[in-house]
Order: sequence, then structure tokens, then C-alpha cells
Amino acid sequence: MTNQNVGFKLLAAAFITFIFTAPILWMVLSAFKTINDIYAIPPVWIPDFTYLDNFKLLLSENWEFLLNSVIVTLGATALCMIFALPAAFGLVNFRFRGQEFLADWILSTRMMPPIAAAVPIFIVFNTLGMLDTLPALILVYAGFNLPFAVWVSMSFFRNIPKEVIEAARVEGCTWFQTFRLVALPLAKSGIATVATFVFIFAWNELLLSLFLTSREAKTFPVVISSFSTVTKTYWELISAATIIQILPPVIFTLLMQRHIVSGLTMGAVKN
Amino acid sequence: MAQLAASTALAPALRAPADPERRAMLVFIVPAVIYLLLLSVFPFIYSVYLSLHDAKLTQMARKKFVGFENYVDLLTDPLFLKSIQNTAVLTVGSIALEVILAFFCAKVFLSLKENRTGQVMRSMAILPMMITPICVGLIFGYILNPTLGIANYLLSGVGIDGPSWFGDPAWALPTVIAINVWQWTPFMMLLMLAGLVSIPSSLYEAAELEGAKWHHVARWIELPAIRDVILIGIILRVIDNLKLFDIVYVTTRGGRSDATELVTFFTYRQQFQFFKVGYGSAAAVIILLISILVTTIAVKYLRRMQK
Repeated sequence: MTNQNVGFKLLAAAFITFIFTAPILWMVLSAFKTINDIYAIPPVWIPDFTYLDNFKLLLSENWEFLLNSVIVTLGATALCMIFALPAAFGLVNFRFRGQEFLADWILSTRMMPPIAAAVPIFIVFNTLGMLDTLPALILVYAGFNLPFAVWVSMSFFRNIPKEVIEAARVEGCTWFQTFRLVALPLAKSGIATVATFVFIFAWNELLLSLFLTSREAKTFPVVISSFSTVTKTYWELISAATIIQILPPVIFTLLMQRHIVSGLTMGAVKN
Repeated sequence: MAQLAASTALAPALRAPADPERRAMLVFIVPAVIYLLLLSVFPFIYSVYLSLHDAKLTQMARKKFVGFENYVDLLTDPLFLKSIQNTAVLTVGSIALEVILAFFCAKVFLSLKENRTGQVMRSMAILPMMITPICVGLIFGYILNPTLGIANYLLSGVGIDGPSWFGDPAWALPTVIAINVWQWTPFMMLLMLAGLVSIPSSLYEAAELEGAKWHHVARWIELPAIRDVILIGIILRVIDNLKLFDIVYVTTRGGRSDATELVTFFTYRQQFQFFKVGYGSAAAVIILLISILVTTIAVKYLRRMQK
């Protein structure tokens, strides 16, 4: 390729990158603006980055909801993996009738729109007196991510050579020992990838938390959505909250980009 | 129903728990299966049951069996029909734009794949797709705000009077589509890149020797190579769009004259704002049936690709 050609391509790439990042950046900048500056026309382009009142105000009133989000997300990720990993291992290594069908069915539950299960879930937790509690959210978030975690973990367990598993069995390992001492260590990095995905999915979730929580157990996305009301929108709080909320996904994207395509396509497409 | 059959597939394992092999299967697989049955099959059956009743979420004890009345009402409810139409327009419009734009973005980044700056820019350009959807909605709610938004300020600079993006019924759905496209084009682009890098450079060189134009290359070399990944991308995006909720919830909330009423949002409102759970459940069942249809196709392709 000629130099001129590369220059043109870089220009096009810069334009594309600008389109996909500038909106995010604009919101980030506003987090450091006073309310007056947010409403100023013409806009204030570069804010004073030492102005942190928006963050202080946001966190002084809402830090416990941020904490809720962290607890729910971590709890759901852990619970989800505890159920998903043995199932994925079993679906790859056991031979039984209806095996493929079972795997397909698990995948198909992933596609279910959460809204279709909303009222039954609501009624069950209402009956159990668990509405507006963190355990209810953890249970639901873990469950909704279970199909993803099972299916993608399966692709990592499948990469372990059959001979290794068989050797462990011949040496007298029980299935549980084979799983814990052989399969888990070998699939370690894959498992970490799956867990990180589940973490991000749970972190980003709004709809389920919207109807399962009301006061105590609200997650951060629900709080953020409540800053936009019919009568008034608190942009100074929204922009500060957005920075905090998108930080994990942004870091995730930059660090794990090699895995994103295969993760989001359930392992169907490899980079 | 596919879901119900899953439990019969496990029946042999359940019958003989004495055999250690089978006991292992039980311990490894059954907990996850039960979890999923509780979360998908149970709500489905319960929704079907509720959908045949006139029920209020606030007075569940006083529900009344009404047969298929909810379904009949639903299919003659202009708002529900509108929400189906909007969802269809959103799905088709978003995906078509995503595929076209993603192809050009992928070509640009493919040609820069050895270039350090190009690689850095690519990792930045894919940021939108993992960002929390409500934040994406709010980011654009802020930019496109008619009074303080930067979009209309910049437009006024070139003499254009920007519309009320979310308030004007003519603009609301296209705006939501644009936001959706912004968030998901990078995903489609990454998919296509994964397909494009697998094309051996000898093919490109041969095409060049033959004097092929760029559209020949696209038609005969590139599209065949990425057909399968595009198909997967489209299927997954259809499923995503059937679920789309967050962006609409924080921007238009259905919008004036229901310009952005989507099926998810319709169902949510019926159930949790008007507490009409019988009616809402009928809508939920219809959404589920549509997504089961799409899912059946999706699962077939995903399984084929994974092998």
C-alpha cells in the first residue's frame, strides 16, 4: 500500500472512531461542569476537571445503591458460574440420550425476552416476601445469565483433549475430581472470560431490577434512570453517574476485545 | 413444547440414581436444568394461565377466567398493533443499516490491521456495544436535547433548525433506530472483521491481476467469506431488538402519539403501570411465541457454527 493510501485510510478510521466515541466523551466532559455550564449555549467545550461537586453530590446520596450494584453483580456472577460450570462440563463429557437436545434447549432459554417472565417472577418473589431484596436480584440475574455461561463454557471444556479427561478417569478420579483437578485448571482462562461477560451483563441490566426493587435494593442503573423524570432531568447527576456506570464495561472492552466476538456470538465466531 | 420435552430427556438419568455414572450426571447437570426450568418454563406456563384471565396485579385474588378474550382484545388494540409495527420497523431498519455501515467500517479497519494507530482506533471504536444501554440512551438524550443539546446547536451553526428528536412523532422512531445503530454497528463490524481476516491475501492478489473492480471483490470474494457471520449477527440482533427496552425507557418512554411504543415497552406498561397482568401476559405470550420462532432458527445456526 502506498503512503498516501494509508493516510487516507487512517483519516477514514479516525472519522469512524470519532463517530463512535465522541458522544460518550461529550457526556464524560459534562460530569465536570456546573449546572450553569451544562445549560450554557454556546456550550462550554472544556470543563474544569477539578470541579467534582457532581460526583460528591451523586455519591453522598446514592453510594449505597452503587454498592447494591456491586454486590448483586458479584453475587450473581459467582452463583451463575457455580451452576454453569458443572453443567457445561457434564454436557461435554457425559454420554446420554437427549444430550444435544438439552444443550440446545439451554441455549434457547438465553433468547427469551425477560419481560415475558416478569410478572410470574414478580408474583413469586412477592409471595416469598423477597421483593426489593438483593438475594432476589442475585437469583434472577444469575439465572438469566446461566444459558450464556453454560453454552460458552462448553466451548472451553470442549477444547480440553478427550484423552486428558479419559486418562484422569482411568487413574481412578471420580467425575468430581476430574472436573475440579483436571478440567477447571485447564479451562481457567476461558472460565475467567465467561465470568467477566456475566459480570458485565448483570452490571448493565435495568428491566429486571426496575420491577423487582423499589427502595432498598435498587441497583445503580435504576437510580440513574430515575434522574430523568417527566418534569426535570438532572443532567449533572446523570453525567457523573454515567462515568461510574460505564467504567467497568469500557475497561472490559479495552482489555478483552479479543474475546468479545466469540463471547457475544456464544462461541460461534472466533477471532 | 421444546421446554417441556427437556425434562423427559432427563428422565432416564432420574430413574437410576444408584449407578455412580448416572449420579454424577444428576449432580452436574440437573441443578442448572432445574434453575432454568424455574426461570423459563414455569413463567411461560404461568403467563399463559394469567393471559386467560382478567387480572389486576394489585388484586390477584379476584382474577376471573375470560378465555381468549385478552388475545382478541390485544389483536384489535391499535396500540399493540402499532407496537408490533414499530418493533418490526426498528428491527429491520436497524439491522439493515448496521450491516451496510459495518461493512465499510470493517473494510477500513481491515486495511489497517498491521497499522498500530489503526489498531488503537479500532479498539476505541468498539466501545459503544458493551456500554450500559440506559447510559447510551441518556448520552443521546443529552446530545439531542432540543434546548441544551449540542446537536441542534451545531445544526443551527449551519443554518438548520434541528427538530425535537424525541418529541416529534416523525423523528422519534428514526432517532431511536439511529441510537441503536450507533451502539451495535461496532459489533457487526467485529463480526465481519473476523470473517474478512480469514480471506487469504492470494485471493485478493489474483483478483487484482484479473483486473477486478472493488465491487467484484466485494461480491465474489468478501461476501461469500462473511456470509455465515453476517447471518449469525443478524439472528442475534433480531433477538436483541425484540427485547429492546432500556433506550426507549430513558428517552421517549413510548413517545408522543406512541411513535416509539415497542412490544416490550407496551407489555411493561400494561403489567407494571396499569397493573393489567392478564392483558399484559397475553402480550408477553405473543412476544414469547415470536421469539421461540426466531430462536429455533438461531439455535440451529449457532450449533452448526460452533462445530
